[in-house]
Amino acid sequence: MIVVKSHGEFRQQTRKTILESLEVNNLEVHTSCREGFCGACRTKLNKGSVKYITEPLAYFEDDEILPCCCVATSDIEIELS
Amino acid sequence: MFFGHPVNVARYDQQKHSIFEKIIEKQISFFWRPEEVDVSKDRVDFQKLSESEKHIFISNLKYQTLLDSIQGRSPNIAFLPIISLPELETWVETWSFFETIHSRSYTHILRNLFTDPSQIFEDIVVNQEIKKRATDISKYYDDLIFATQLWQTLGEGTHQVNGETHEINMYQLKKKLYLCMCSVNALEAIRFYVSFACTFAFAERELMEGNSKIIRLIARDENLHLTSTQHILNLWRNGKDDPEMAEIAKECEQESKDIFLTAVEQEKQWAAYLFQHGSMIGLNQEILCQYVEYIANNRMEAIGLGSPFAVSGNPLPWMNNYLSSDNVQVAPQESEISSYLVGQIDSEVDSSEFDDFDL
Repeated sequence: MIVVKSHGEFRQQTRKTILESLEVNNLEVHTSCREGFCGACRTKLNKGSVKYITEPLAYFEDDEILPCCCVATSDIEIELS
Repeated sequence: MFFGHPVNVARYDQQKHSIFEKIIEKQISFFWRPEEVDVSKDRVDFQKLSESEKHIFISNLKYQTLLDSIQGRSPNIAFLPIISLPELETWVETWSFFETIHSRSYTHILRNLFTDPSQIFEDIVVNQEIKKRATDISKYYDDLIFATQLWQTLGEGTHQVNGETHEINMYQLKKKLYLCMCSVNALEAIRFYVSFACTFAFAERELMEGNSKIIRLIARDENLHLTSTQHILNLWRNGKDDPEMAEIAKECEQESKDIFLTAVEQEKQWAAYLFQHGSMIGLNQEILCQYVEYIANNRMEAIGLGSPFAVSGNPLPWMNNYLSSDNVQVAPQESEISSYLVGQIDSEVDSSEFDDFDL
């Protein structure tokens, strides 16, 4: 499960990134390159772990993720900016 | 990263910041040539544009030509002499090389639109609106380049040059470097985007599509360049490189914010200049200004400068269709990919085509 703070709970879709899983549910996330190099989708990760399917190049802090290029490997809680 | 040991042998087996090599690899995988994109249909589209739209289109091209002229040259001159990591040195060289591709693509576009594009190029250096902002961009580069040259030839100390006194010490040099990097970041983060928005607004109406394909490739490269300067600034700020740079980052926080705010203000003025003869369908001055603020929030946030503007959503959501890398490099059968559409339009017309015409 992906818990988005103050937006509810969503399912991690099979073969979809976290970003795509959220977009299926019409949640608006800032995006641009969708490939991990622009950093527009930087999101705070409060709980859980993720796995990157494309190596991220953009800068992000240790407690942040780039949802455009990773999938959740456990239940996670994130905070949209 | 800077002002350490000279780079010496270009070896990449030991890397302090391996991210730069990853960015180099990404950038090389993006390689493209302007000639690959057929812009011949744009000439017909251009004739159909209203006078105010032509003004918007050409002014943007002029401005971008200037920005890329600066970026194609200055990082090499300003940063290479003081860089101390081979991976970063190679990144700066790769980065500059791509800016030269951008510069050549503007000539490619203009050559197609005008029989003689020299008038357009000549106006770039006399156009007041362009000059106003160019000074602000080159100021930080000039400062750093001049100080580095004094430092390299005369060393630290107080020097008299042409009757002016210059105080050169390492702290001042680093400070100039920091501000210059902020200004480069602001340039690639904000300044390009007003022009990008206009280009993509034309493309939304299926006008000037060859041009938009080129600009889309340029936007993808610029995004990567932006990422690299964000990395540099954040490595400094978080004390993961030179500890003195972390102090400077703190000390110059307000000054770097001001660099961004000035860039935002100047881009808004540019939007006003663009739309002085009238707007275009799908875009006007107000919405463009909101977009500048939106993008500035995003970029400033990324390097820890907070988000000073009260814009929450993206005022131009369709921009993402053009900025998304998916739409640039996907399976060819998914049609939108630019490289697949290369030469899609048969632009050759032979006089024999009219053979069976009778009047």
